[in-house]
Amino acid sequence: MRTVDLEVVRSLYKLPGAVRMKLDVVPKFKPGDRVKARNIHTSGHTRLPRYARDKVGIIQLDHGVFHLPDARVSGQGDQPQHLYSVRFSARELWGAEAPCKDSINIDLWENYLDSV
Amino acid sequence: MRRRSFLNGVHDMGGMHGFGPIVREADEPVFHEEWEAHTLALARAMLAGLYFNLDEFRHSMERIEPSYYLRSSYYERWLEGTITLLLEKGVISQQEFQARLDELTERRG
Repeated sequence: MRTVDLEVVRSLYKLPGAVRMKLDVVPKFKPGDRVKARNIHTSGHTRLPRYARDKVGIIQLDHGVFHLPDARVSGQGDQPQHLYSVRFSARELWGAEAPCKDSINIDLWENYLDSV
Repeated sequence: MRRRSFLNGVHDMGGMHGFGPIVREADEPVFHEEWEAHTLALARAMLAGLYFNLDEFRHSMERIEPSYYLRSSYYERWLEGTITLLLEKGVISQQEFQARLDELTERRG
């Protein structure tokens, strides 16, 4: 049985919030690229919201390399890869009646995206 | 217990209608009840002890039975998820968990 002492718990609160991995992974996309979110329907875990699946967005920012949450839950290791901020217009997500200037940025892992 | 696996869990609520406005509480306390603080501490300690990781913790809450998920509070979901993982990871046995539930029920009368 592992013991969790006070020091270990305290150390958790001192850690910086980011879990960015210091790994050299070649990014598949760059800011400005058009991408389409994959149509994933898993019984496991994913950070890709349902309303964004099969929708086209534009890469705004490359956050760097992070582990893939989906893989960690299904016991498939870390699968380090780039995480991007992707902008979707409200009309792309919600149809022609959505306000024309609204958009949302969603942080999405490379595994969730295909190039358009 | 309320734990099953669902495709597209009810937690994925973006774009769903009909839940009403978000009510903001003036001077909201960090915890409304003492058990909530215990729940936070328990989950944090389990994460610190590497019994489960943050992604597994999120997934444990996503697997909560949909009707319970919708009527439960923030820390009720934390507690439910933590119990699921404590059992699944073998940190406690179903017998130990049930014995403790019985003890608490009896004490309450």
